[in-house]
Amino acid sequence: MPIPWLPKPKYASLSQQRGETKVTVLENGLTVATEDKFGQFCTVGVVIDSGSRYEVDFPSGITHFLEKLAYSSTEDIPDKDKFMQILEELSGISDCQGSRDTLIYGLSADPKGLSKLVQLLSAVTLRPLITDEEIFIARRTIEFELESLDMAPDPQPILLEMIHRAAYFDNTLGLPKTCPTENINKINKQTIYEYMKLCHTPDRMVIAGVGINHDELVKEARKHFMSKPIWDDVKTSRRLDKGLAQYTGGEEKVFKDMSNVSLGPTPMPELLHFVIGLESCSHKDKDFIAFCVLNTLMGGGGSFSAGGPGKGMYSRLYTRVLNRQHFMYNATAYNHSYNDSGLFCIHASAPPSYGKEMVAVIVKELSILQNGISEDELQRAKTQLQSMLLMNLESRPVIFEDLGRQMLVSEERRGPDYYFNEIGAIRNEDIIRVAKRMLATPVTIASLGDVNKIPSINDIRTGLSSRDGRLPGRFRLFQ
Amino acid sequence: MASKILRSSLKLGQNLSKPSKPLSGSYLPKRWQSAVTYEQAMLNIPETQVSTINNGLRVASEDTGSPTCTVGLWIDAGSRYETEKTNGVAHFLEHMIFKGTDKRSQKDLELYIENKGAHLNAYTSREQTAYYAKGFTNDLENIVEVLADIIKNSKLGETEIDNERGVILREMQEVEMNLQEVVFDFLHATAYQGTPLGRTILGPTENINSIKRQDLIDYITTHYKPPRMVLAGAGGVNHADLKSLAQKHFGNISNDIQGAVPVVEPCRFTGSEMRVRDDDMPLAHIAIAVESCGWANSDNIALMIANTLLGSWDRSHGGGQNLSSILAQKCVQSGLAHSFQSFNTSYTDTGLWGMYFVCDKLSIEDFVFNLQKEWMRLCTSVTEFEVERAKNLLRTHLMLMLDGSTPVCEDIGRQILCYGRRIPPSELDARIAAINAQTVRDVCTKYIYDKCPAVAAVGPVEQLPDYGRLRSSMYWLRL
Repeated sequence: MPIPWLPKPKYASLSQQRGETKVTVLENGLTVATEDKFGQFCTVGVVIDSGSRYEVDFPSGITHFLEKLAYSSTEDIPDKDKFMQILEELSGISDCQGSRDTLIYGLSADPKGLSKLVQLLSAVTLRPLITDEEIFIARRTIEFELESLDMAPDPQPILLEMIHRAAYFDNTLGLPKTCPTENINKINKQTIYEYMKLCHTPDRMVIAGVGINHDELVKEARKHFMSKPIWDDVKTSRRLDKGLAQYTGGEEKVFKDMSNVSLGPTPMPELLHFVIGLESCSHKDKDFIAFCVLNTLMGGGGSFSAGGPGKGMYSRLYTRVLNRQHFMYNATAYNHSYNDSGLFCIHASAPPSYGKEMVAVIVKELSILQNGISEDELQRAKTQLQSMLLMNLESRPVIFEDLGRQMLVSEERRGPDYYFNEIGAIRNEDIIRVAKRMLATPVTIASLGDVNKIPSINDIRTGLSSRDGRLPGRFRLFQ
Repeated sequence: MASKILRSSLKLGQNLSKPSKPLSGSYLPKRWQSAVTYEQAMLNIPETQVSTINNGLRVASEDTGSPTCTVGLWIDAGSRYETEKTNGVAHFLEHMIFKGTDKRSQKDLELYIENKGAHLNAYTSREQTAYYAKGFTNDLENIVEVLADIIKNSKLGETEIDNERGVILREMQEVEMNLQEVVFDFLHATAYQGTPLGRTILGPTENINSIKRQDLIDYITTHYKPPRMVLAGAGGVNHADLKSLAQKHFGNISNDIQGAVPVVEPCRFTGSEMRVRDDDMPLAHIAIAVESCGWANSDNIALMIANTLLGSWDRSHGGGQNLSSILAQKCVQSGLAHSFQSFNTSYTDTGLWGMYFVCDKLSIEDFVFNLQKEWMRLCTSVTEFEVERAKNLLRTHLMLMLDGSTPVCEDIGRQILCYGRRIPPSELDARIAAINAQTVRDVCTKYIYDKCPAVAAVGPVEQLPDYGRLRSSMYWLRL
């Protein structure tokens, strides 16, 4: 029953919603961007042009440490617990996510506490104390995480590292995102401060807010983000890598016994995991949208996965691979794009004895893309991409992340309408063009498991460059 | 970047919208000790409008004006309404409903949804069934029409039924690989032994193999009745439009019931245990629960607070000595468990309140000791400070859950079924604010102290104390 004496609340009406983006650049180069949105909470945070790709002159793994060290003791509030209490009082939660090229600190909380929230953000991003105890705990947490990664039946994160390492050999995007075991004890407070000194400068940061007032955020940012960071006096002889990503292509094979990966009494089938990658493009490139459409068009997923119609059951990897080849467990397309390059991948898994067949089917699917696709398929992929775009933007943290990332690399924000129309304009020629462009780049492969049956990279190369995508040699899939 | 919105897996988004990290604890400042004033709350969300069409079906929606929306049918029916012979029918039906109707074949239905960039999905729980679709707001009418078509005119063909048996058996295998699901199924089986709530949702293999078309039809005609259904909508859904669409497409579902009106039989809780010892498994997976109360019982809020107070933890989250949950602190200090998660599962007239944990075989006894000690503390000496913190966390959690049209729509559908209305956030706040440490102690004593627990354990569980000892530790004479 309703509480009888509680006054009826006043609800917001539709006309109050404008969905506007406002941007201000502060005197020190820091960008502040906001957007409105219905909801009882706001998301505000700092997005930094920092990540594992910049760790060239450092031991790899700093970003991983920064993720684990986030929201610990700061100069302003030396007691981590006190920090948590303040955040709880504002009904807030915190999150920190690092990727290859972006580090994001985000808070979701009651917008009434905006001033406090910005103060907290400033403290955690500019003045973290990084005590010995915190480093110790971070090291242990990372160790646990690496252990869990190794035990997990789904090796997806390991495969992602492998394919990036092979695709951008020894440079930028190819550097490991998860801290390598040998670096866990190498990284210390000094290295982290040196890194932050070079990488966490105001011109490489954006403060983004969703569901809050722009002028207030600007005012608060000016108050709290103009001060000197804690690492101001730290000396460093290292340099920040500003090099462009060099796509090299290549191969990484890791033999791992995956015959008994199940953590429970129900056995899981032994699988061989294979990823094939080709260079796509940067998200600034004119072909970017076409690659996204191509990704949706390939689609795919697990041969057994939850979800009804709408999950992409008529994407190519379903209709042409998973539904036809009984041995395929998984086939999924991904397009990873960065500031200066991109990687189009297909992940596949099957029992190890079908290694050759699995590779042959995937190579064939990639190669025949240059022959064009049917109008129905194209239209479906476009509509699905448009709806995925808008549906993802229902969520506040997603808008926040998108806003922050966009402002980091360009002056203006491209709204959903822009992308919606761009997707609508893609035609069959565009798909053929990007498919050819991609197939002309050196192939990258990564495989994990019992890798004996994976064909050689030369055979894969030959297969990709032939018109029917057939691997050379005596082997034929449909004999 | 746009590349990230165009990608469906959004890590940050997921993490920011649910408080995953455990938080921390010391003294509560005076100003926190809630002096709540019940002024009219201003909400930055649109009101949920509810109406009833002529046959008793309720229509409830919230309009945020976004270009995408979620619409679905929430039905007060689930595996609880089945008998031993028909166990699995509700879930089987959920599968069959996407297999084609009188006017659409399965392929037509799938293509129709995929081509519109929409998603169609369904789930069956012990007490509720939901069919929902997400798509462009412009397609609202089409989406409602499809939902009505599958509910009213599904063919339920014999061949399709036979084909689906294999799919469901395969799904069962997947469920069995997820140890958390296995443990919760065991927990229900022992806690509600001999009653419908004790059965699984999927049903036993022999039922899956023997369910007939007539069983499915009987289930629909008995349970899918307008007064037990809610058409819920969120996102860009205009209430008047949704109501008239409901009238047009659902208005002709008859209200006649053949035979007896189905009633919910009370399900008896039995304190008991179920152990599946398997020393080959790396970790033990254990759930211990007491009987809590039904959905609408006002004790639920205090139980939820108690639940939040114990919290959840995972060793890869790390956290220092200062976590708000004492249990989590213990885990950090002495590696008691790999992860734990307190839960409160509610049904109409009963519920399970307890703890699920995963730990090493040699730390089971220690973990259980500490767990029961915490439970006793909740009943006797939990402090005002801890309760205040947990209240804030709970409020945050409830608020942040409602992010995006699908979670909101689900919340609307479930609340209308459970409470007959949507509880305004301001009321929930007031209800949470009204609880203090004494209420938590009283309510916990009522449900936990000297009560028989239900226990389910899978893995190397030799060290789990025998039931008599577990039971006798449910009351402590001194702490």
